[in-house]
Amino acid sequence: MSSAIIFYFFAALAVVSAVLVILQKNAMHSVLYLAFTVLSVAGVFLSLQAEYLGAIQILVYGGGIVVLYIFVIIIVNLKEIRPEKRKFFPKLSIVALPALLFIQIIHVLFTNRPTPPAGAETGLEFTSLAEMLFSNYLVPFELASILLLAVLIGAIIIARRKLLHDSD
Amino acid sequence: MIPINAVFGLGLVLFFIGLVGVLFRKNLVIMLMSLELLLNGVNVIFAGLSYILKSPRGSIFAIFVIIMAVSEAAVGFALVLSYFRQKKTYDVDELNDLKG
Repeated sequence: MSSAIIFYFFAALAVVSAVLVILQKNAMHSVLYLAFTVLSVAGVFLSLQAEYLGAIQILVYGGGIVVLYIFVIIIVNLKEIRPEKRKFFPKLSIVALPALLFIQIIHVLFTNRPTPPAGAETGLEFTSLAEMLFSNYLVPFELASILLLAVLIGAIIIARRKLLHDSD
Repeated sequence: MIPINAVFGLGLVLFFIGLVGVLFRKNLVIMLMSLELLLNGVNVIFAGLSYILKSPRGSIFAIFVIIMAVSEAAVGFALVLSYFRQKKTYDVDELNDLKG
């Protein structure tokens, strides 16, 4: 029961701050609300007994991605930015997709479905997660490391001030 | 026990907010932030299914989604930086260099 209360508390915080993220005019305010959302979602993970996921969420999102956003906003000179142009009547194709998703949300929320029985899996503990990650999912894990290496090199090359061929 | 509908609802609502942000905002940085919201909504559903089915597979999948999110943020910001150096704007309506 207490885990349900914690879940609803963090869920409400996450939804409210996520709405505030997309309503801000100033990108820096958006980043602060994004940090709030990310930490609330970490609380949701903890209430769902995904402790490892919550820790990764705090470390990677709260410590990495949010700081990356803040650095990028600081690096570019804010005075040089031209103001954002807004249209008040967006096209129908833009409105249709969120409307369909909204109908889907209503449908999911008000359909009663029985809780599926727990499978024959080993449970939610750290040890079973680690065993499965390093046995069944070893190849995706190694591929993820290759992806991160490619991103490391690619991001540095793309963000360089000069292109490679006229650096000399 | 947390009901399954609440978990699905939270994930879908976060996804919805992110989708609205990506489609309606014109600031490139805020669009990238909305992408993070989309991925967070997906992760909530993965973690919830992992909790309900008592299986660690959902958490493992969510870990891979987080790795993808980090990669996407890093490359996206590199692109935003190099774009900003040339055009001095974040507005996606100015992104029409390839238009014939």
